[in-house]
Amino acid sequence: MAIVERPTAPLELTTGQVTARQPLGGFTRPQATTGWRSWLTTVDHKRIGIMYGAAALFFFVIGGVEALLIRLQLAAPGQKLYSADLYNQLFTMHGVTMIFLVVIPMGAAFMNYLMPLQIGARDVAFPRLNAFSFWLFLSAGLMLNTSWFLGGGADGGWFAYAPNTGVTFSPSHGMDFYALGLQMAGIASLVGAINLVVTVLNMRAPGMTMMKMPVFTWMGLVTQLLLVFALPVISIALFLLTFDRLFDANFFNVAQGADPLLWEHLFWIFGHPEVYILILPAFGIVSEIIPVFSRKPIFGYPFMVFSGIAIGFMGWGVWAHHMFASGMGPLSVAAFALSTMFIAVPTGVKILNWMATMWGGRLRFTTPMLFAIGLVTMFTIGGLSGVTHAVAPSDTQQTDTYYIVAHFHYVIFGGALLAFLGGFYFWWPKVFGYTLSETLGKWHFWTILIGFNLTFGPMHVLGLQGMPRRMHTYIADYGFEFWNLVSTIGSLIIAVSMLIFGWNIVASWRAHRADPVDVGPDPWDARSLEWSVPSPTPVHNFDEVPTVSRLDEFWHHKYQEDETGKVVRVATGAEAAQKGDATDVHLPSPSYWPLVTALGLPLIAYGLIFNLGLAVVGGLVVLIGAFGWGYEPADDPEAGHGHLGHDGHDDGHDGAEAEIEGGEAADATAGDGESQPAGVSAPTASASDERAASDD
Amino acid sequence: MSTGQQPAARRRRFAPLALILPLVLLGACAADAPQDTMDPAGPQARSIDNLFNGVFLVAVVVFVVVEFGMIALIVRFRRRRDDGDDDLPTQTHGNTRLEIAWTLLPAVLLAVVGFFTLRTLFDLEQRDDDDLTVQVVGQQWWWEYAYDLDGDGEHDDVLTANDLVVPAGVDINLDIQSNDVIHSYWIPRLNGKKDAVPGRTHPLQIHADEPGVYVGQCTEYCGLSHGYMRQRVVALPPDEFEAWLEDQATDAEMPTEAEAAAGAELFTTQCSGCHLARGINDAEFEEQGSGTELIVAENAPDLTHFASRGTFAGALFDLWVDADGDGFVEHDEIGGELNRADLEAWLRNPPDEKPMDAPYVPEPGGDKVRGMPNFNLQEEQIDQLVAFLATLD
Amino acid sequence: MTDTAFTEHSADPSLHDKGVPSHATSTGVSNEKLAMWVFLGSDCLLFGGLISTYLLLRHRSVTGPGPEDVFDIPFTSVSSFVLLFSSLTMAMAVGAIHRGDERRCRTFLLTTALLGAVFIAGQVYEFTSFVKEGLGYTTNIFGSAFYTLTGFHGVHVSVGIVLLLSLFVMSVRGRLGAERAETVEIFGLYWHFVDIVWILIFTIVYLIP
Repeated sequence: MAIVERPTAPLELTTGQVTARQPLGGFTRPQATTGWRSWLTTVDHKRIGIMYGAAALFFFVIGGVEALLIRLQLAAPGQKLYSADLYNQLFTMHGVTMIFLVVIPMGAAFMNYLMPLQIGARDVAFPRLNAFSFWLFLSAGLMLNTSWFLGGGADGGWFAYAPNTGVTFSPSHGMDFYALGLQMAGIASLVGAINLVVTVLNMRAPGMTMMKMPVFTWMGLVTQLLLVFALPVISIALFLLTFDRLFDANFFNVAQGADPLLWEHLFWIFGHPEVYILILPAFGIVSEIIPVFSRKPIFGYPFMVFSGIAIGFMGWGVWAHHMFASGMGPLSVAAFALSTMFIAVPTGVKILNWMATMWGGRLRFTTPMLFAIGLVTMFTIGGLSGVTHAVAPSDTQQTDTYYIVAHFHYVIFGGALLAFLGGFYFWWPKVFGYTLSETLGKWHFWTILIGFNLTFGPMHVLGLQGMPRRMHTYIADYGFEFWNLVSTIGSLIIAVSMLIFGWNIVASWRAHRADPVDVGPDPWDARSLEWSVPSPTPVHNFDEVPTVSRLDEFWHHKYQEDETGKVVRVATGAEAAQKGDATDVHLPSPSYWPLVTALGLPLIAYGLIFNLGLAVVGGLVVLIGAFGWGYEPADDPEAGHGHLGHDGHDDGHDGAEAEIEGGEAADATAGDGESQPAGVSAPTASASDERAASDD
Repeated sequence: MSTGQQPAARRRRFAPLALILPLVLLGACAADAPQDTMDPAGPQARSIDNLFNGVFLVAVVVFVVVEFGMIALIVRFRRRRDDGDDDLPTQTHGNTRLEIAWTLLPAVLLAVVGFFTLRTLFDLEQRDDDDLTVQVVGQQWWWEYAYDLDGDGEHDDVLTANDLVVPAGVDINLDIQSNDVIHSYWIPRLNGKKDAVPGRTHPLQIHADEPGVYVGQCTEYCGLSHGYMRQRVVALPPDEFEAWLEDQATDAEMPTEAEAAAGAELFTTQCSGCHLARGINDAEFEEQGSGTELIVAENAPDLTHFASRGTFAGALFDLWVDADGDGFVEHDEIGGELNRADLEAWLRNPPDEKPMDAPYVPEPGGDKVRGMPNFNLQEEQIDQLVAFLATLD
Repeated sequence: MTDTAFTEHSADPSLHDKGVPSHATSTGVSNEKLAMWVFLGSDCLLFGGLISTYLLLRHRSVTGPGPEDVFDIPFTSVSSFVLLFSSLTMAMAVGAIHRGDERRCRTFLLTTALLGAVFIAGQVYEFTSFVKEGLGYTTNIFGSAFYTLTGFHGVHVSVGIVLLLSLFVMSVRGRLGAERAETVEIFGLYWHFVDIVWILIFTIVYLIP
C-alpha cells in the first residue's frame, strides 16, 4: 500500500505482514528505546550519527596523543624519547587514525544526522545497514588500535608504499592490522555511502527537488558518491597487500617482476578523491553556517552546488600529483600538474561565494560563525600552498618535506576539522537540546586558531629549509631547531584548546541539568528543515513530512515579502516549527543483527593474522548475523511507534520513548525498504523476510 | 552572541595570520640552512626556485586579497548594536556575471602558471648522454654510487658510498635505482628529488656551480632508519675530480703497520660476509658471497677507499674532524684528524648508533636481516679496525 | 486514494507516476533497486582495479609458466558460454515472475543456479589443472594476478548461486509471488552484471594475447 502524508490528519499507517516476534526462536527482538542497550540496537539515524561523532572524538583523542608524542620527540634536535621504530608506528597510526577514524566518521556523523532531516525524511533508506556501517567502523577502529598491544602498530606510513610494507621489510603484524582494519573501515564506509546516496536520491520530501536541497546535503551526496567509487580501488590495493603478506602472493615482489608504482597508483586513485571526501562535508557545513549568521541566503547557490560537483569529478583526475617525484615520466607529470591546477578553480569559487554571502550581511560572530570564518581563511592558505605543489618542478623540492605536512594540515585541520568543530557548536542545540557555552566556545576558537597556526605555520618554513617528513629525529645546525620548538608549543596549545572544548561540553551540560533552558527549535534563526522540528529532534523527525517549494523552505515560513516588497518577519522560529507531538509514526525497529554481523568481521581479521580457527568462528558469526538479519523484518509491526513524550532529562539522549501498539502498522516515508547488504530484497519492507546472505 | 565590542578581538584574531607570511619569508632565508630549497647552487635548482618564486608571489597576492578582504568584510558588515533582530539585510541570491568572472579569472591566472610550469618541467628533463653519468643506488639506509670508467656501459669500475663526488661546473647525470624499498634522492640546493624505485631507473641531473659540499637526505620513507639516511654531494674542481677518480680505481694496499695489519686480518675474518676492500679480502668476499642470504639489500658499502670519504654509516657521522668548524667535512679536511669517537662507537654497537634490524650476527643461509649487527668486538679489536680503516684512503 | 492525496501536495512530477510500485520514492525507482545500481557502479571500480592490475602484471613474470602455457581456450569458451546462457534463463525467470508464473520462475531460477554451478565447477577444474601444470598462486606474478582476478569473479558467481538458491527456497515456500517480482529483477541485475564482467575478463585475460 502506498503511503501518504496528509497535512491535516494524523499519519495514517498501513500494515505490512505480521511477522514473528522471535525470528530465530531464541531471540526476542530488542524493544528498549532507552538505556545503554537501546544504543547497541538502535537503527535511528540520529543516534547513529551521535555515536559516529562520539567515536570520532574518542579516536581524535588517540590520534591527538600520537601527534603530541611526535611533536615532543621533535621539540629539540637529536632527541631519543623513543625509538625510531616506535616513532614510525606513531606517525603511521596518527595518519591512519586521523583520516580514517576521525575525519571520515566525523563527516559521517554530520551526514547521518543531518541529511535525512535536511531532505525531510524520517530516516535513511536502510536503517539497519546504517547501524551495521557504524558498528563495523567502530570494530575496525578498535581493531586497528589493538595492534599496539599485539606486537606493535603499523609502521609503513599511512600511504603504505610497497615494497616497504611487505613481510620482508615490515615483519611485525602492524601492516596486517593496517590492511585488514582499513578493509573493514572501507566496507563500513561503502555500505554507509550506498545507503546515504539512495536516501538523498529517493527519500526527499515532496517538492524537494535536487536544486532545492541545502548545500550541505549536496556536498554530502557528492562525498558519498566519491566514496562509492573510490573505496573499491583502495579495497583492491589492500587485498593485494593482504594476499602478499599472508599468502605469499607476488603483487609487490620486485624480485618476481613487480612494479612498486602499482601500489602508488592504486593508493592515490583512492587517496586523492579521499581528500575531497574529507573536505566536502566541511564545505557543506560552512555553507550552512555562513548564511545563517550573515542573515542572507547563500550567494550563488547553483555555483556552490556545481563547483562541489566539479570538485568531485576533477578529484578523479589529479591523483598522480602525489607522485611527481616518483619517476613516472614527464608527460604524466605535465598532465597531472595541469589538472591539479584547475581543480583550484571550483575551490576558489567556493571561497569567493562565501565571502560574497557575507558581503552586505549582518554578521553575528557566534562560535559557529567564527569557526566557519576560520575555515575560509585557513583553507585559503592550504589551497594556495596546494597550487605551489601543482607546479610540478617546485613540488619536487617540496614533496615529502614539512611544507607538505603544513599544506595538508591547513587543508584537513584548518579546513575540515575547524568546520566540524563549528558544526558541533551550530547543531549541538538541535541534537542535545542545549547550547554550548559561547564564552568557552570563543576561548576554544581563539586558542585553537593560535595553536594551529603556531603548529603548522612554521612547518612551511621547515619544509622550504629542507626538512623531510617522517624523520624520527633531526640533527642540529640545519636551521630546524627554532621552528620545531615553536611547532611543538603550538601543538600543546591545541591540546589545551581541545580540553577547553571537552570542558565546554561537560560544563554546558551541567549548567543545563541544573537550570534547563528551552533553546526552542530554531535558536539561530536558521534556514533549513532540521530547524523546523523541536530540539532535540524527536525520534520520528517530522510530525508530518514537509512539502517544499523553495530553497531554505523553513526560512521562508518565517520571513516573507510585505506589500512593499520588503522582506519582513512573519513568524518566529517556534511558531513556524513543527510541534513534535505526533504519536503514531511507525519507525523502523531496533535490531541486534547489525551489531552481531559487524562483530564477526574483526574476528575474521584477527583470525587471518593469528589463527585461522578464529577466522572460521568469525565467519560463522557473520553468517549467523546475516541469517538473523535476513529473517527479521525491517519493521516490527508490534513495536516502536514513535512518541514524543517529555522525557525526564532533556539531554536528548533518551528523548524518545516507544509506544507499543499492536495491529496496524505502516511504513511511513522513512523506514520503508530495508535490505541486506547486497541489496537483493523485496519492494516493501515489512515483507522483506527470508533474505539470503550478502557478499559484502 | 555578538556584541559591539567584537572588532578589537577580531583584529587580534588576524594577528597570527599577518605574522605568518613574513615569517615564512624570513625563515626561508635563514643563514644556517644547508638544505634550503630557496638557496640554489646550480642551474636546475635555480630554475625551480625562479618558478617557485613567481608562483609564490601570485599566491601571496591571492592570500592578501582573500585574507584582508575577509577582515574588511568582518569590520564592514558586522552587526551593529542598533541593528534590530527583524531588520534583514538586502537578500541577494547571487550574481551570475560576477561568479562567471571569478571562475574565469583564476582559470586564466592558473593557465599562465601552467605555461611556465610545463616549460620548466620539460627543460629539466633535457639530458645529454655524453655527460658524466653516475649510478645512484638506494638501500636501507645508505646510498651507493657507481662510476663507469672504461665506458662499457657497466657501472662497475668504482663503487663508493655516502659522498657523491662529482666535478663542479658541469652537468652530471644520475641514474637512480634502489636495491630494496623506495627511497628518494634529494640534494635541495642542486635539484628536486627523484624516487629510487626498485626495478626502475630514474634519471636526474645535478650541476654544482662551485666546488663545495651539498647535503641532502632520503625523502621517501624507507623504514626503520629513514631519518638517518643522509647523503652528500662533494663537488670538486674538474682536475681534482679526475685525480680522485683515478685514485678510486686503484686497489687498497695491505697495511704494514702492526696494529693496522691486525685490523686487516680481523676485517678479513669478520667483515667479508658483507664488505669488500679490494686488494685486502677479495678471495674471502668472493667465497662468502656478497651476503646474498644475509641482508635484504644483498649489499654493503664497498670499503676499498673508506678513508677517502668525509662521512660514514649512511653519511650520518663525520669520518674526519671538521677543522674549520663550518659543520661540514670538506674535501681538504679528509685525511686530517680522524673522528675516532664516532667511529669507535659505531664499531662497538652499530644498531645502537643507527637503528637497524640486525639483532644478531647473521649465519649464511639464515634469516634475512638488515644493516650491520653488533659483533661484540673487544676494545683492542676496535682499535685495530680503526687503524686499518684509516689506511683505506 | 492515497495517490490522489499525494499529488495534492507534491511538487515533484516523478511522484505523479502511478506506476510506482507500492511506495513512492523521489526518483520513482525503489530504494532497493537504486541501491543495487549504486552497488554495481562501485563493483565496476572493484573489477576495474583488478583488471588493470592484471593487465599491468601479466607480462612481468620472471619465471614461467605464462598465460600461453596453461590456457585451454576451447574449454574456457564452453564454460563462458554456459555462464552467458545463464543470463538468458535469469531473464526468463524475471519475465515469468512478472507474469505471475511462479512455477516457471522457480524452474528458471534453479536452472540459472545450476548453470552458474557448472561454470564454477569448470573454474575449479581449470584451476586444478593449472596447478598441476605448475602455476600455483605464488609461483609467479602472473599466477597471483590471474587467480586473484578470476577468483574474485568466482566469488561473485558463488554468492549469486547462494542468493539464487535462497530465492528458489522462498519461491517453494510461496513467498515469492508476483508482488515481489522486483526482488527477482534486482537480483537479475546483479547476475547480468557478473556475466558482463566475465565477458570482459574472458576477452582480456584469455583472448587478447
